[in-house]
Amino acid sequence: MSPDVPAPDGGPDADATSDVADRIRYLDEVMAEIDAEVRRRRASGDLPAGLEQELDELFLEFSPVGLQGRARLRETLSLVDGSAYVDIAVPTASNKAVGSYVKRAIRKGLGWYMNFVVAQIVKFAWSVSRMFHVVVDHIEDLEATVEANRSPDLPSGLVPATPTGSTWWAPAAVDALVGVSDRVVVGDCGDGSLVEALTAAGVDAYGIDPSDIALEPALDRGADVRAEPVLGHLAVVSDEALGGIVLTGSVQWLRPNERVRLLDLASTRLVVDGILVLHSSSPAAWAATASPVVRDLAPGQPLHPETWAHLLRSRGFTVTATIFGGDDRRLARVGTGAADAAEVNAAIDAINDLLLGPTEYLVVATRER
Amino acid sequence: MTAVHQFVPALLPRDATGDHTRALRDAFRSAGWESDIYVEAAHDELQDEATYFEEYPARARPGDVLLYQLGTSSPVAEFLLGRAEPLVLDYHNVTPESFYEGWEEHTVAKVALARRQVAALAPKAVLGIADSAFNARELEELGCPATTVLPILVDLHVDADRVDGHERVRLAADHGASTVLLFVGRISPNKAHQRLVEALWIYRRIYDPGARLHVVGPAVTPAYADAVFAFADELGLADAVRHGEHLTEAQLAAWYEDADVFVCLSEHEGFCIPLLEAMQAGTPIVALDAGAVGETLADAGILLPTARPATVAAAVARIRGDTALARRLADAGRRRLADFAAPTTRQRFVDVLAGVADAERGVA
Repeated sequence: MSPDVPAPDGGPDADATSDVADRIRYLDEVMAEIDAEVRRRRASGDLPAGLEQELDELFLEFSPVGLQGRARLRETLSLVDGSAYVDIAVPTASNKAVGSYVKRAIRKGLGWYMNFVVAQIVKFAWSVSRMFHVVVDHIEDLEATVEANRSPDLPSGLVPATPTGSTWWAPAAVDALVGVSDRVVVGDCGDGSLVEALTAAGVDAYGIDPSDIALEPALDRGADVRAEPVLGHLAVVSDEALGGIVLTGSVQWLRPNERVRLLDLASTRLVVDGILVLHSSSPAAWAATASPVVRDLAPGQPLHPETWAHLLRSRGFTVTATIFGGDDRRLARVGTGAADAAEVNAAIDAINDLLLGPTEYLVVATRER
Repeated sequence: MTAVHQFVPALLPRDATGDHTRALRDAFRSAGWESDIYVEAAHDELQDEATYFEEYPARARPGDVLLYQLGTSSPVAEFLLGRAEPLVLDYHNVTPESFYEGWEEHTVAKVALARRQVAALAPKAVLGIADSAFNARELEELGCPATTVLPILVDLHVDADRVDGHERVRLAADHGASTVLLFVGRISPNKAHQRLVEALWIYRRIYDPGARLHVVGPAVTPAYADAVFAFADELGLADAVRHGEHLTEAQLAAWYEDADVFVCLSEHEGFCIPLLEAMQAGTPIVALDAGAVGETLADAGILLPTARPATVAAAVARIRGDTALARRLADAGRRRLADFAAPTTRQRFVDVLAGVADAERGVA
């Protein structure tokens, strides 16, 4: 190849080369300023993370390639049906008068041959099309079965709110994250108390919460918080962009597939040696205190700390601490002077251990690889 | 006598390939050569300038060189595959079919056929001429034995009279002081018009709530065009996105001059003539670095590594807020335009084709 298109002002003299270099340097500086402007807008909340992805997804709704599920299957199937017909009426138009007669004569002369071949092609195409119809019908039956077994969504008004104000576990979370140099995100941050505690401790922290209402106090105080769900936010954060992640609130009742997605995202968005702090109710406390409707309709339920530890280890984390806390609902033991005190206290201990143990826990883990 | 005859699927007026083909014929004839244009179809206005391609065998002479203007599928390709004359390809690129999948199945089939024809013709050609190094690489990968890069011939003479003043005034009155983003090109999935709409939406949200997007070009993929405009409606931009079709040259020049920034977010371009038109109008350019856009633009605009709407909007805002930058880009565009001056390009085409003809005749 000989690239004959000249380079911009591609003269060989040194002055021209210098001019080109200056212009390229200037454009590089402009591009750097544009990048900085975008970063600044993102940090200020003018460009919430996920906004551009939402725009892309919205456009897909207008696109035949973006049709989802049943509509996409049926749309594609109609394309197969439309292509299954082969037209043997070859166009005979021509820009030469004689050309049209010649083409018509050829079409007529070859008609018997084309009919025979095309009939077999069409038969094959319709067989393939029929097979696709059977497959799609079967898929729709399966979808109907799945739908019949699906629980209704938990009404948004019943979703348990993130506790506001200081919590028993906030100091432990701050202790775990002090000294982290990269940014730390607090998921389901509620009124932003933990974000502010972390900031006060010198941590570069910001908060996200799906509820605008929950965030209002934090926004009023000027805290760095945004209205976004945890999964949506982590999905658009770059790999190894975070030094710490705090998870609470909705992490307790995620669907199993969402939980897997969350762990996968957390393990890639954290830097190596990044810290994950996870707060949850215990399953027993959830069963004892959550409303019956929430317990029945929540997509998932809290896990035992041992289960979180297992899941985290499977993704390259090392669990460095498990701390129990929350309401102390344990029954007091009776005095040793009471009648049958030993038997009664043994029963109280058993009840405390089985039903009334610590209501919440905190798991702290470090990404090792 | 040297004879270089051109073949082109369709000879159309006010069409880049059509204008290029006719300009080359004139250049070859000016060099004292025989040169005719053979077509599959010609517009009524140009019937006198074209001959049906199947009539060529009756007119063929020893020593003829055949130059095929290749940019779409055509029976002409199959015809040329069966000819013994030395063949030169003038390759203007074929958009990969993947861009049309799901949008328009018959176009998928058409461009797939075109790419198969390119693959068949490339090894047979004695030389591949390409608009850009990007296109030349495609030909080389398909086995073309030799390639050279020569830009498409574009009539870019500067003439104040060619701008429609009334159109210019009408456009300005319509949008006032608001920012105007412009893109010119077919409305087709590879041009990524939805990215322009996204960038406009972000730009209005952050920088200028009255900003407009002007898009000019035929809706050659109707399903895609419908989706783009429905998308704009959904975002509340129905009145902010304006589509110009069937514009005269003078009206188009007015749209270019009226725009604050020419924004090209195409994901696949073999050359991109509208970049040159924007340079001619002195309109600053922001473009995604995709296909041949980077080499056509060179340093005459802001070349973006991504089409993410926030970055595009920030680039437009940077130009809008800095008149010195806008002026520098406009000046750089005019300098770059000189590299595509038609007289120079015409002579280079003549030189290249003369080399092919001499080689075929065994002239040292």
